[in-house]
Amino acid sequence: MKPLVSLAGASIGYGRRPLLSGVELAVAAGDFLAIVGPNGGGKTTLLRTLLGILPPVAGLREQPAPLRVGYVPQRDHVDALWPLAAGDVVLMGRVRLAGPGRTLAPADHEKARAALARVGLAGLEHRAFRTLSGGQRQRTLIARALASDPELLALDEPTSGMDPAAELAAMDLLRELHRAGGLAIVMVSHRLETVANYAATLAFVDQAQGLWRVGPLSEMLTPRALSALYGRDVAVREEGGRRFVYPTMNGGGRP
Amino acid sequence: MTGFAEFWAARDIWRDPLLASVLAGALLGFLGIYVVLRRTVFVSAALTQLSTLGLIVALLVEERMGVEVEHAGVQLGVAILFSVAGALALGTLESGRRLPTEAGVGIGYVVAGALVVLGANRLIHAAHDLNAMVFGNAVAVPFSDVLVLLAVTLLCGLVHTVFQKEIVFASFDRETAEAMGMRARLWDGVLFATVGLAIPVSARALGALPVFAFLTIPASAALLVSGRLRPAFAVATGLGVVAAAGGYALSWMWQLPTGPTMVALAAVFVVPGAALRLFHRT
Repeated sequence: MKPLVSLAGASIGYGRRPLLSGVELAVAAGDFLAIVGPNGGGKTTLLRTLLGILPPVAGLREQPAPLRVGYVPQRDHVDALWPLAAGDVVLMGRVRLAGPGRTLAPADHEKARAALARVGLAGLEHRAFRTLSGGQRQRTLIARALASDPELLALDEPTSGMDPAAELAAMDLLRELHRAGGLAIVMVSHRLETVANYAATLAFVDQAQGLWRVGPLSEMLTPRALSALYGRDVAVREEGGRRFVYPTMNGGGRP
Repeated sequence: MTGFAEFWAARDIWRDPLLASVLAGALLGFLGIYVVLRRTVFVSAALTQLSTLGLIVALLVEERMGVEVEHAGVQLGVAILFSVAGALALGTLESGRRLPTEAGVGIGYVVAGALVVLGANRLIHAAHDLNAMVFGNAVAVPFSDVLVLLAVTLLCGLVHTVFQKEIVFASFDRETAEAMGMRARLWDGVLFATVGLAIPVSARALGALPVFAFLTIPASAALLVSGRLRPAFAVATGLGVVAAAGGYALSWMWQLPTGPTMVALAAVFVVPGAALRLFHRT
């Protein structure tokens, strides 16, 4: 299938300093890719490069056709100082579609309300964004991404700060959206267990080791590969249809 | 005759300066919402310095090189050039790995301030104008300056009405705007170009001190009392107008310096919001 966006022979980084080289990655419609790795490993840098926010230091970023991207930044990245209602924030997802200088139509407001309802925040459109709980803010940002009718949904640590129930609900929502067909999802997460039960493809990123690997979940989610990534023994267990990933007490890992 | 009666009787004298003050108060009060919410208050301080520096450079060029820039329009053009260039450079600065944005803005502010003092020190004929430039003296404003201010206010109003949703989105969450395919840098540039344009035009009428004050105080007062963005814009614009007009009238009646009186009156408007916040906290 023709990719929506791809990186070929790319070096990612800031300015002219490459953090990681030799990145080959293609995202096609219907993919569900999770980018994992240790803190500071370059996960967010990779996502920003893939989306065109950062240019690759070397190599190519290719996007054959205009692409509707829904983006969920890290929650702390959004400034809660602004006096905006949750509905105002979600409506931003419609700004690009409306076009410069055009007023948002009633249909745009309806889309925003529907997106809020989709993430379980129906009726909160008039609540001040800054008064929402951390989990509600995160869901508002997901709703904004959904309101943009995305072909590619990109999320940077979307479940950070959520309690386990909210995290499961958010991930179930992503699975539901993905299964509805066509939508490509790329998410960055430092919580392996979260993505292990949802993603179809896994990418390992660690600039400290110069490590870049991408492949199907079944090939990537092995104790050996994970232990190499995190520098200590990691176990993978399946129980009741769910995968559990956790470090063991043995230490070890990276030679 | 009472103070107000005397003030009213002299309306032919104060009409133009008052009009200029009201326009500047409205324009800066509105733009101040972006300045405060984007945490770029000191960018506006640096721009008022850069704008004054532009005027001094124009005067120095005339005095030292004999180049004819005596025309007010040319001087204003140089001030706008300095201010808009500074706005585009300082307003869109990004934190680096070694220095935060504030360091760059601080350097811009102090260097521009030092150059203003050095430049003024070298002025021979126009040095007496510096006090009015920095501390404000809206007592005498030519009608041509009022027209320029009106044109800039209308232009900024038009740009911010037509492109408000783009400017707000790029200001609130630039990364997401970029990821969604918007040209966030362009909208940042549009915002700071309007700020850079408003400052020298307003500073010419009011002086640098009231300009910096009107970019921060009405917006702060509005954000303390308003929980939504649109009302905050309206309240900040209104407070800018009231502080400018009221400050002008009070300075006339009580024989006080105009700029500082406007600033002091604007500061009074912060009190209700601050008290409200304090009340909610306790």
